[in-house]
Amino acid sequence: MQLLAATTRYYLLLAAGLFALASGLLYVGLEWALRHEAEEQLRDEQTYVQQVVAQGRPLPTRLFAYELDRSARPRALGYSDTLLLDPVERELVPFRQLTFQVPASQGAEWITVRKSLVESQDLLRVVLGVMLGALALLLLGVVGLNRWLARRLWAPFQHTLGRLRAYDLHRHQPLGLPAPAISEFAELNQALNQLSERLVADYENLRQFTENAAHETQTPLAIMQAKLEQALQAPALLEDEATLRLLSDARRAAQRLSRLHQALTLLSKLENQQFAPTQAVPVHLDQLLRDRLAVLEPLLDARDLRLTLHVAPDLPARPLHLGLADSLVQNLLQNAIKHNVPGGEIVVSLTPTAFEVSNTGPAVSGDPSRFFERFRKHNAASDSPGLGLSIVQHICAYYGFQVCYAYATYPARHTLRVEFA
Amino acid sequence: MKLLLVEDEAELRQTVLDTLRQHGYVVETAATFAQAHEKLTLYSYDCVLVDLTLPDGDGLNLIRLLKAENSPAGVLILTARDGVEDRVKGLNLGADDYLVKPFHLSELNARVQAIIRRRQFQGQTQLTFRDIVVRPEQAEVLVRGEPLALTRKEYDLLLYLLANPGRVLTKEAIAEHLCGDQVDAADSLDFIYTYLKNLRKKLQERGVDNYIRTLYGVGYKLNLE
Repeated sequence: MQLLAATTRYYLLLAAGLFALASGLLYVGLEWALRHEAEEQLRDEQTYVQQVVAQGRPLPTRLFAYELDRSARPRALGYSDTLLLDPVERELVPFRQLTFQVPASQGAEWITVRKSLVESQDLLRVVLGVMLGALALLLLGVVGLNRWLARRLWAPFQHTLGRLRAYDLHRHQPLGLPAPAISEFAELNQALNQLSERLVADYENLRQFTENAAHETQTPLAIMQAKLEQALQAPALLEDEATLRLLSDARRAAQRLSRLHQALTLLSKLENQQFAPTQAVPVHLDQLLRDRLAVLEPLLDARDLRLTLHVAPDLPARPLHLGLADSLVQNLLQNAIKHNVPGGEIVVSLTPTAFEVSNTGPAVSGDPSRFFERFRKHNAASDSPGLGLSIVQHICAYYGFQVCYAYATYPARHTLRVEFA
Repeated sequence: MKLLLVEDEAELRQTVLDTLRQHGYVVETAATFAQAHEKLTLYSYDCVLVDLTLPDGDGLNLIRLLKAENSPAGVLILTARDGVEDRVKGLNLGADDYLVKPFHLSELNARVQAIIRRRQFQGQTQLTFRDIVVRPEQAEVLVRGEPLALTRKEYDLLLYLLANPGRVLTKEAIAEHLCGDQVDAADSLDFIYTYLKNLRKKLQERGVDNYIRTLYGVGYKLNLE
């Protein structure tokens, strides 16, 4: 609910309550005033009639008989209400009447004078009509005013909101919001500007640190691997296999560290948008795919995996970063090999709109959307750092491709599909 | 065989230098672009190993220099993994091959040997190791003069072993050589065992035994004698 709508709602509730109360009071008040007026007139008439009778003159004739009703039989004295049929309108009309006694030739005579009261229903109708009309006008006015206010007064807020929604830290630009005339919004914008400047500065520091760390770590790792490999060549070690194995294990660990490091560097470069679009070249994914599959053949053989390849004819070249395209294909294929079962199957299909890799394999537990998280391992004991799918997701995000995972039972089959935008 | 190694990182340079010398190459080194430039203008080499990121210049310019002088030297690019564009540029400039850092020294040996072999036009292009002769031009293997039929991967494996005689080859290095440098070696190295078993069996059938020594948990080694 909009803030203005919320305040309007309370405002209108209050207005409706007040209007109802005012309508009631107005009705009661008007009725009382009319009745009071009628009684006053009736009293005047009584005085007049009594004077006429005292002077012995005949009573004046009235237009309507009911206005002056004479009776020889006794009647209840004083004010009272009555309903009489209006012969013209053929409906009962309320009257206020005053009955009094005057001396007459045969002893006494009872005279009733009457005044028509406005029908209370008519009165109610008028009162409610006026009040509801005013309420409706007020409501329309408030809604209209709010619309106008929302456009005019809240425009800076909407502007700020739009900028925040579109804000991308990766562009390394602070928000730079203007200072509107309304002080609350000006304060908000100022606070947001400061926040974004801090964010940009922190982010830049972190990015530089990552970049430097990446560069500086890679060299010692390369040296470590080379030295350890060279150490393995020492002739004495051929007689000391235990030490040889220790060195070999150390070298393997250094290699793992180096790979992990490379994968993380790639991820952070993707996140920081450090692959310039100018580096893109036309890439024939079908060729890349065939090359990769040819290289991975021993892995397929070793696990006795059956490969089915569907490549649509005449695929257009896509402008991609060669390294990223290679990484995407490589990671998807490797994933299909790694999470397969011996004697299983891999189906790879490449069409102008999508690249799909599906493989047989045991069901995996957990939320599929989390498979793309970093360090997500199917098998905790695996040496693989579990970054492959995360890299796939980041590359797809970088190019605006959709990547989705699906699992089908009977036969158990995992499918990763990349939809080109 | 005379090589020039251009690498700015001293430790790495020394290790690579030691390895190449062990395998019988005459190696000179350059730590900077200026040094490399000077040596390339003064002397001629059979193969030049160039690190593309040098503190005082772009290694690609060294390749340009060699090509401008119509040098017969082979060029092997040493590059960081993220330098894909540089790698592509280098190959377009006429470099023979590239190797992504960090690399296995045994892989370096194999690459250098392949480059030199391709560059040697005068006569002897065959590799000889004890009773085995390989003619890479024809992709032919002779054991004691008799042709030996190998699958492509077995042949690749044999060439790799022959490029590193007497050297301990780790399983990871062999796996990467056969399956590319991105292979998740940690996950399944069993296939190397299968290939080696098959290769050994085929050699054994020709009476060539005990050429390949297994170093349990580490890798393999081609016995010199």
